[in-house]
Amino acid sequence: MANLVVKDAEKWFRREDGQPVKILNRLSFEAREGCVTVLVGPSGCGKSTLLNSIVGLERLDRGELLFVKNGAQRERPLIGYVFQSPRLLPWKTVGDNIRLALKGAAVDRREWERRVERYLEMVGLGEYANQYPLYLSGGQRQRVGLARALAIESDLVLMDEPFASVDELTARQLRQTTRHLCEELHRTVLFVTHNLPEAAYMSDFVVTLTRRPASLQEYVANPLGSPRQWGPEIYNFAADLENKVTLKEETLL
Amino acid sequence: MHSGMAPSPDIQPAISSKEQDAAHFQESPFVVRHLGREIIARIVPPLLAAVSVLAIWLLLYLIFPRLLPGPVSTFAEALRLLEDGTFFFHMLQSLRRVFVGATIAMFFSVAVGIYMGTVLVGERFFQPLVVVGLTIPGLMWALIAVMLFGINEIAPYFAVAVTIFPMLVINIWAGVKALDKELIDMSHVFHFTPWMKVSQVIIPQLVPNIFAATRYGLGLAWKVVVVVEMFGTSNGVGYQVMKAYQVFNMEGVIAWTLTFVAAMIVIEYGIINYVERRLTAWRPKIDVWRR
Repeated sequence: MANLVVKDAEKWFRREDGQPVKILNRLSFEAREGCVTVLVGPSGCGKSTLLNSIVGLERLDRGELLFVKNGAQRERPLIGYVFQSPRLLPWKTVGDNIRLALKGAAVDRREWERRVERYLEMVGLGEYANQYPLYLSGGQRQRVGLARALAIESDLVLMDEPFASVDELTARQLRQTTRHLCEELHRTVLFVTHNLPEAAYMSDFVVTLTRRPASLQEYVANPLGSPRQWGPEIYNFAADLENKVTLKEETLL
Repeated sequence: MHSGMAPSPDIQPAISSKEQDAAHFQESPFVVRHLGREIIARIVPPLLAAVSVLAIWLLLYLIFPRLLPGPVSTFAEALRLLEDGTFFFHMLQSLRRVFVGATIAMFFSVAVGIYMGTVLVGERFFQPLVVVGLTIPGLMWALIAVMLFGINEIAPYFAVAVTIFPMLVINIWAGVKALDKELIDMSHVFHFTPWMKVSQVIIPQLVPNIFAATRYGLGLAWKVVVVVEMFGTSNGVGYQVMKAYQVFNMEGVIAWTLTFVAAMIVIEYGIINYVERRLTAWRPKIDVWRR
């Protein structure tokens, strides 16, 4: 059953010289409940624009975003978001950053401490609740961002290239943690990346996008089972994906 | 026994190895030397500055003894003001006026600064007013305030608030313009209420601007309040300086100035610096000229 349906999404931007540029072109796909759907496409094709539209930071010019729960359509629900950079408030402790998200999500105050403790433990930062973010490493901060997105316990979580700014070893650990948590918590996740092995490791389904203006190229079910191990089969599936998509860095305007 | 062997389970260390390390580090000669250097670096330069001013003053006094009072007699006068409580009474009156005026200005300037930085119409409306406000000298406002309100407490409050308001607004407006858009977007995504956005995301980003503005604004406010007190009130430091001036009591004028400056230093280092340190404790120290 789908949790999110993107239907004929179209988005235009105006360049500095006033010329309109089409970003999304009749893009349609769905994110299934309890699964990780990975959006793969070349840099600048409009993946982040789509996530921003889903979360309400931008508006589609045409098309629909349908949020579904138990088969019924509903208003835009609470959505967890892991950004490319952690976007933590540096003047708030790690625990307070999560508490503020809980407050925004109107979670009962009596529940806050349990959630802060639980989700920080899950991302391996149980002892860091009272630390300020600037005293943590980049990977640790990204883990806090992940804990914050999961702590609000929304049905839908968006992740916008969340490991792009950390080194490969840290990124691997973070992928492992995130994939494990997604399986354990059974959340619907829409994960954006342009890294094919990452897409192969993280996904239950892969949506590949064309170059700008982005439209659906392929919708692929990941044949790999769970729990995942980082190994040759990941690279084999990534190679399969590469055959299906064109990831050429070109001037797109 | 081999040195690498694990200790017997019944021999427990009194404190953990982490605590031992911390204790050794605190006692290490490196820490003591470092602390000593830091204390010297903090105390010696301002002390030298004070000594040079005193030396120049003494020299001038020795050259022009009839024109300038000596440091010793002036300090004796300052001590008398402190001992008989005159200073504290009048200083408190001036402090109250500055505090009330600055609080009113701060309240309105935060609101107007945020409005100007976030709403284009607000920026276009207030910008010319703020620029004009910046060009009007505090002394003018002091005169206008006394002429408008007469000899009462509203005049200094008004003069202080109106003088520092444009300067506070300019700083806060500049801070709002430089707000981190990513954090604002984050607050939107996580459904922060408007009050949460202002109090948890916007104002903390404005802290450096607010402190810069407060320091500069207080400097201006003291000058304005002293002027208003000279001809618009019957107490306060300005009134006392005026009284000393009318009887050509130079020692009195300088003693009041010195005690006033001392009070300013206490406020700057004891209150403003302390509050700023507390509010920016989250920021790691940066050593730009690291060697």
